[in-house]
Amino acid sequence: MNGIHDMGGMQGLGEIGYKETAPGFDEPWEIRLFALVQAMRTGGLRPYIEGIPAADYLRMGYYERWYTALVKQIIESGTVTRAEVDSGRADPASTKATLALTPEVARDLLFRSTKTEQDVELTPRFHIGESVRGRNINPATHTRMPRYTRGKAGVVERDRGVFNLPDNEEASAEPKPQHVYLIRYAGRELWGEEVPPNDSVYIDMWEDYIEPA
Amino acid sequence: MSQPSSDHSQDHTDVPSDPSLRVKALESLLVEKGLVDPDALDVLVDTYENRVGPRNGAQVVARAWVDPAYKQRLLDDGTEAMAEFGYSGGQGEKLTVVENTSSVHNVIVCTLCSCYPWPVLGLPPTWYKSAAFRSRTVIDPRGVLSELGLDLPKDIEVRVWDSNAASRYFVLPKRPDGTDSMSEADLATLVTRDAMIGVAKVASPSAGGVS
Repeated sequence: MNGIHDMGGMQGLGEIGYKETAPGFDEPWEIRLFALVQAMRTGGLRPYIEGIPAADYLRMGYYERWYTALVKQIIESGTVTRAEVDSGRADPASTKATLALTPEVARDLLFRSTKTEQDVELTPRFHIGESVRGRNINPATHTRMPRYTRGKAGVVERDRGVFNLPDNEEASAEPKPQHVYLIRYAGRELWGEEVPPNDSVYIDMWEDYIEPA
Repeated sequence: MSQPSSDHSQDHTDVPSDPSLRVKALESLLVEKGLVDPDALDVLVDTYENRVGPRNGAQVVARAWVDPAYKQRLLDDGTEAMAEFGYSGGQGEKLTVVENTSSVHNVIVCTLCSCYPWPVLGLPPTWYKSAAFRSRTVIDPRGVLSELGLDLPKDIEVRVWDSNAASRYFVLPKRPDGTDSMSEADLATLVTRDAMIGVAKVASPSAGGVS
């Protein structure tokens, strides 16, 4: 989606606000919300975050977006109702849910890696050293292809293996496993001749995002 | 909801007026409904407040500085090499380690969101998730780094890693001069989070990096 979240290459978005000592959380409620999201194991919030209207998105802090996205997602999925969120109390008529995450599993999460790579044998369409171009596609839904790569030529640096295309995950479509490639884009190809000749941007691209250059 | 429901837009969103109260209310609702166990929340908070963070990454860096075989394993397969320390789990499933040298400088960003190698760096600081850092780092990395206090000469090659997909990135900073006699444990104390993101260098101890 050509949303505000796809901001690579934009200018004029304010200050970085860099602090050398900045912690991961500015306020205690942020880590509590972070934990809530992990404990709910609701799956991808990103489509909901990306669905926040641009002006609101920019006004909100990072974890305010998470809050907004989580509420929207669990209302849409029928997990809670709007009235329940507003009151903070469960509807007495609602049934008790099944716990998504026990403390034991939560403890284990730190040490357990869920492998995201798929054990599927697929013939790669592209090879290391090959020139490829970002396809001119404009999906209105979630994608991991930043718009600044569209139409731009780069070189395949590495074959990452096979991963499910995240673009159709949320549409509860069938998983679409395909090769992911590390692509090197020359800074000059992306941003013009003023960029020093050797500077570059590296990005992982699913097969559906690229075509032969 | 912070506003009365007089919003006719179908894009209505909740902007929490007092986020801490809103989150508290949401937590008690989800606990009451049996969806969330408060003890599990405490475990998660403890994990991400105390158990993961840049100290993990610093140990990995120090090991790579003193042990060339480990460094090679780290560059070949970051996931496996970090698992040797027991660092794995959420957002560390596929770790790619990129090395800063005297001729190449790497910096990590996530333009679309906030991707970051949690097991070895913890959760990202607010500035890493800021619109300005996300938007400008790909188009003007030298300008961004300079604003953050790191001026790079023109002949250094800058590589920006936009972590949008399956892999998370981690910078192996350059070992500072004057550290030949330091132990692995002492070296680890020199390594900062920002050096592992690539927005800073590791200062040599004589430059005041360590007491």
